[in-house]
Amino acid sequence: MRSRNLGGFWAGMLVAGVVLWSLITTDVELSRLLSAGPRIADFLGRMFPPDPTVMDEIWKGSAETLRIAILGTVGAVILSVPLGILASETMVSATVHRPIRTVLAFIRAIPLILVAMLMVGAVGLGPLPGIIAVALHATGMLAKFYAEAIDGVSRAPISALESAGAGPLLRLRHAIWPQMAPVVARDTIFRFELNLRESLILGIVGAGGIGFYIQTYVRSFQYDKAASVTIAVVIMVIAIEGINVALRRRFA
Amino acid sequence: MMQNAIHIDDLSFGHHGAEQRAIDQVSLHIAAGECVALLGPSGAGKTTLLTLLDGRLRDWQGRVSVLGVPFEPNRALPLEKRAETGFIFQEFALVERSTVMRNVLNGRLGRMPGWRALLGNVSKSDMDIARSALSDCGIADLADRRVDSLSGGQRQRVAIARCLAQEPKLIFADEPVSNLDPSRAADILTLLTSAAQARGATTVFSSHQPELARRFADRIIGMRNGRIVFDVATHDLTDDATAALYDDTDPASGARLKVVS
Repeated sequence: MRSRNLGGFWAGMLVAGVVLWSLITTDVELSRLLSAGPRIADFLGRMFPPDPTVMDEIWKGSAETLRIAILGTVGAVILSVPLGILASETMVSATVHRPIRTVLAFIRAIPLILVAMLMVGAVGLGPLPGIIAVALHATGMLAKFYAEAIDGVSRAPISALESAGAGPLLRLRHAIWPQMAPVVARDTIFRFELNLRESLILGIVGAGGIGFYIQTYVRSFQYDKAASVTIAVVIMVIAIEGINVALRRRFA
Repeated sequence: MMQNAIHIDDLSFGHHGAEQRAIDQVSLHIAAGECVALLGPSGAGKTTLLTLLDGRLRDWQGRVSVLGVPFEPNRALPLEKRAETGFIFQEFALVERSTVMRNVLNGRLGRMPGWRALLGNVSKSDMDIARSALSDCGIADLADRRVDSLSGGQRQRVAIARCLAQEPKLIFADEPVSNLDPSRAADILTLLTSAAQARGATTVFSSHQPELARRFADRIIGMRNGRIVFDVATHDLTDDATAALYDDTDPASGARLKVVS
């Protein structure tokens, strides 16, 4: 009992120490908060009323973001099908699926914005680096999901097909695929939603889409225009989420 | 003409990491056209023996040949040789989300050209074989239903139809009726054994119910702890022999002696 209390004490000290360290070593001037109120009010005031003249830019940017998300998802699916198979315990031996899973975990750990910056450096500005970045980044998650979908199916029908003389590809096609198809559809739609949300910011690093306009308007102090674009982004995210929820219910 | 469908000499097999052998020095011959029941308690080695004879196990010792094809102890049976033997599973082993017809056609996969099988491009003759298998099993009207909408008895009929669509010369059935209620169980075994007989196929089914084995098999092989305890024509099977097979206290049945030694 005593030792447990002592453990709690040290854990508390550790947390307090970490928080204090952050507070002291970061340049936090609390006095700045006092003047923040009027500034935020000023900022919000300049956003209103949102400037409706940027509808063309909004349509153009949204369409490009949507295209980046769609093509990025397609790219991720194309990469994830073979990688998902190679990452599954059911289809390949441990000497293959373990390293593949490690690579996928590594890809997942790199933030999209970082991949996008690298791609902008590699292929130049525009939607292309955005598409490649989304495809690569999403593959880390989607291939893992696909592998789990393969491994999650009932094994008995696979044995039955093996018994009937069907090879690994035929088993995948006729015993595994029909079982995993709804899971794959659900996961792919989910990943598409994430791709869309995440690709909204790609424009900030020059990788295309509506983020470019937010960035441009904020930098040039045209807050009323930035406000219009932000509202459009919020509407787009809510709409996609609604569609996603409706679709997922179908695959439940 | 009465050649052996199954020929086993001194067969032993241990599951990876298991202390006791699942199959322990078994020798056995089954003639073509016979209908044989494997009787014994859970863990007797019935499923292991049937899976091995189906060509899906490796790393065993001894000599095995099925339908005149000698098996290699250290590798599974090549796929192209598997179509000759059909297998019926206790848990039906159907693709639940697919239709009955699709499941029955899966039995044809080993006999189709590879590209056809992969594309699911089914020829008319494959379709006809699947249809006649369905009607032989009394479920022609269920062809377009999804399997997950069927009852247990109907599911096992689908599994038997899949096996028949394979046009096997030898049918293995692993506890085919232990998930069904008694009246359904008798129906399913009647269907299975008469369909096999009509096709001249050899049948080996496992069961832990002596009365079903007696009713449907010509010959009954009792297994316990991986060994054959008795191997008799059905009319020679005594009640004492079946009682001893399931008796946990009888030292003569083998279990106790093994544990002591």
